[in-house]
Amino acid sequence: MADADVLLLLEGTYPYVRGGVSSWVHQIIRGVPELKFALVFVGGAREHYGEQQYELPENVVHLEEHFLQESWHQQKSRRCPGNVDAFNRCQQMHDYFHQSHDDLPDALISDLLNMINDPDKGITHEDFLFSEASWEYMTNGYEKYCTEPSFVNYFWTVRSMHAPIFMLSKVARGAPRAPVIHSISTGFAGLLGAFVKHQHPECNFILSEHGIYTKERKIDLAQAEWIQDSTTDLDSGLTDDVGYIRQLWIRFFEELGRITYHASDPIVALYEGNRLRQVQDGAIAKRTRVIPNGISLAQYEDALDKRPKEIPPIVGLIGRIVPIKDIKTFIRAMRSICNKIPEAEGWLVGPTEEDEAYAAECEGLVSSMGLENNVKFLGFQKVPEILPQLGVMALTSISEAQPLVMLEAYAAGVPCVATDVGSCRELIEGYSEEDKALGHAGAVVNIADPLATAEECLKLLGNPELWNKAQQAGLARVTSFYTEQLMYDRYREMYQIAMAKS
Amino acid sequence: MAGIGFELRRILNRDTYVATLQAYLYAGLISSGPWVLSILSVLLIGILSVSVVAPTLLVTQFLVSVTYLMSASLIFTGGLQLMFTRFISDRLFEERDDVILPNLIGILLLTTAVAGVLGASFIFLMFEESLLYRILMVANFVTLTDLWLVVIFLSGMKAYNRILLTMLIGYLVMVMAAYFLRHFSLEGLLLAFLIGHCVLLFAFLYDILREFPSNKFVAFDFLDRKKVFWSLFATGMFYYFGVWVDKYLFWFNPATSVDVIGPLNASLIYDIPIFLAYLAIIPGMAVFLVRIETDFAEHYEQLYNAIRGGEALDHIYFLKDQMVYSIRQGILEVFKVQGLTVVLIFLWAPSILDLLGISSYYLPLFYIDLVGVSVQVLLMSIMNVYFYLDRRGIVLALNILFFVLNLVLTVATHWLGPSFYGYGFAGSITITTFIGFIILNRTLEDLEYETFMLQK
Repeated sequence: MADADVLLLLEGTYPYVRGGVSSWVHQIIRGVPELKFALVFVGGAREHYGEQQYELPENVVHLEEHFLQESWHQQKSRRCPGNVDAFNRCQQMHDYFHQSHDDLPDALISDLLNMINDPDKGITHEDFLFSEASWEYMTNGYEKYCTEPSFVNYFWTVRSMHAPIFMLSKVARGAPRAPVIHSISTGFAGLLGAFVKHQHPECNFILSEHGIYTKERKIDLAQAEWIQDSTTDLDSGLTDDVGYIRQLWIRFFEELGRITYHASDPIVALYEGNRLRQVQDGAIAKRTRVIPNGISLAQYEDALDKRPKEIPPIVGLIGRIVPIKDIKTFIRAMRSICNKIPEAEGWLVGPTEEDEAYAAECEGLVSSMGLENNVKFLGFQKVPEILPQLGVMALTSISEAQPLVMLEAYAAGVPCVATDVGSCRELIEGYSEEDKALGHAGAVVNIADPLATAEECLKLLGNPELWNKAQQAGLARVTSFYTEQLMYDRYREMYQIAMAKS
Repeated sequence: MAGIGFELRRILNRDTYVATLQAYLYAGLISSGPWVLSILSVLLIGILSVSVVAPTLLVTQFLVSVTYLMSASLIFTGGLQLMFTRFISDRLFEERDDVILPNLIGILLLTTAVAGVLGASFIFLMFEESLLYRILMVANFVTLTDLWLVVIFLSGMKAYNRILLTMLIGYLVMVMAAYFLRHFSLEGLLLAFLIGHCVLLFAFLYDILREFPSNKFVAFDFLDRKKVFWSLFATGMFYYFGVWVDKYLFWFNPATSVDVIGPLNASLIYDIPIFLAYLAIIPGMAVFLVRIETDFAEHYEQLYNAIRGGEALDHIYFLKDQMVYSIRQGILEVFKVQGLTVVLIFLWAPSILDLLGISSYYLPLFYIDLVGVSVQVLLMSIMNVYFYLDRRGIVLALNILFFVLNLVLTVATHWLGPSFYGYGFAGSITITTFIGFIILNRTLEDLEYETFMLQK
């Protein structure tokens, strides 16, 4: 008997951490109130998560938490021979990981998932930690592949890296039954999904990724200081050589991604760029699809009426004052804009607390460019009240996924000038043929290009005809493709198809 | 303990014959030291007194009393000795030198109290000898138990010349005191025995006080469950059970023993050969200590530094092979030196016994005891390697095995008759050593596996 309709697998997010992904999960659960959700939360260490940050909607029937750190708890060691055959197969699998970057063969993956925690034919966590076969296997692996000298580092890396796998296999066994498994990322939650899917092949496993987990992990790992590289100080900077231990971790997450992609169908991305990235990382193209996020239009029903008659010469940037938003390029662009339209204003709407040093640098830049009267730091504001007062919204970020603030700007009738990151081009120029036919809702510029940014803003501000077309395109785009309701419908449909199949 | 290896290496580094000889002499005295010296001095006291103390039964009574004091005190402290040695080593490793002294005082207080109460109740209940005799017996017992705990520190101390001198003076005082007190018959000799050991005890205590100053007087950290290993206590206890069980069996088997004093029996045929044989282990013990504490300890340290320091696996394997080689060389050397000693004593045995005025009737038993105690040196070498590798379980198992075998086989020899006497002890220790070697071989073979995969 099924305990719920959808088993939702969450890694390090909802309901314990606030943020974009968490509010999206909350939104989806509330958006399909007729389905019952069972939540499995996978976190790093228990102490890193405090109180629940969201009140669980009525249709959440179950919540359980598992912490990876607990998989590293010391077990009582015990000599055992271990299954030599299983470790040999494991070796073949890892040889495959080392050599090939194509899709993994089905047989290999199903063998792998079968083997974990099978006391007769496979490898239990105890076998992995204490068996003679495991020792043989590890020393071979070290001799064959490890290019860094420290055996003890290699040994502990392999040991701690694999511990969560055994834990998740057990979690999968005890997880609530539901016809649909839905993971919000690859990584550990994805692997958990693959385990559940493997144990209950009749279930359907949906994967939707907000960002690209593997890519984010790689960025983390590239900077992680807890990994000791054996490279000397002289090497760093001169070569892009990544230490073996770091490579090992990167490959580990890549393989987690591949296993998740292999087990899941459909695979949902937020926008086309991410979908392509998923395919590149091993997702089968025909399983992939794009479901963008949507916004609620209710707050913007009267936004057009609140707008002044003329186009106000005000360029707004809504976002946290942090380097990734490249606020400095925005300020430099404002210099050029003010050269043409002296009364133009630049509004920076967003909290400065996150990176106060950067915020101070930005304020310094404003005064050194003589823009004290033009550029204003407004701090946190209610977005629906700010948007109608803007002439153009500018987004200078060097990295974005699918910025909701652009959709909100469209809903409030504000054209956008945005850098060519994430889904910004799709949002401005359209994604499908039908969508493209609506026209441009602003302009796309390169990152860190204040002159082009200024030029495009000036074009819009100084050309009411162009501005009006852009406004209409934006309004049409958000209402036909990016409403919350549309997103709910798409997920509801996906859930229903999945439930019907199982 | 770590200190001795350092000192031995320093002496050996001088690289002269005299230095080498000195290192071995020093090691021999430290390792078999007080025990063997006591046997020697007691024998000397016996010989000195025979002409004066009459009847000779009194001399025998003295020798037997002393033997029981020795064995009882060793068995009584056996567990504590081993456990406390490890406790001290661990604290020294943590560089907590300041806790050494208070804990020594603590353990001395504890043993003095317990040994005093137990010893006094036993001696006053079971003996009907003079009050003075009984008091001296209790005093001697307590002094010996304390002394066995204090000598733990000898191998850890740097002032080895002082130690040698102290030992020499202590036993000289004992023999001289005996010479003057022998006219006071049994009580006089026991008093001399007490004086000698008191001199040793307090002299060593003085040295330790100087070496490990502390601003705390007494502590009982050594009873803290988290800081000590009670398995070591059991190991030490079974070791001494094993070493003494055959002697007690001979003492209390009516066919092989005679009443000597109070409840104490002696087995004339069994005792003399075995105590003489123990004197022959000095060369083997010296070699064993030098090899284990220099070569082996050095290689052991290199290996574990390499493992912790993140060395390549090849290098770890290489260092382990080196360490195994050093163990093999060490044991081989003990084997050679002890073997040569045994051969020489075999050749000279008839004349030695003759010189000491002991009947050649004891010769076969002396021979087999000689083999037994020599194998015991090998067993001690293996046990020490295990202690280094921190395989406490194996040592405990070996010692229990030794005790049980010695018990069973000695009883069996009683059945089989006098021509088999001594084979129980020699047989049990040989079997135990043999098994110890087999397990050691296996332990060393997958040392890396156990070190990495089964660490706690």
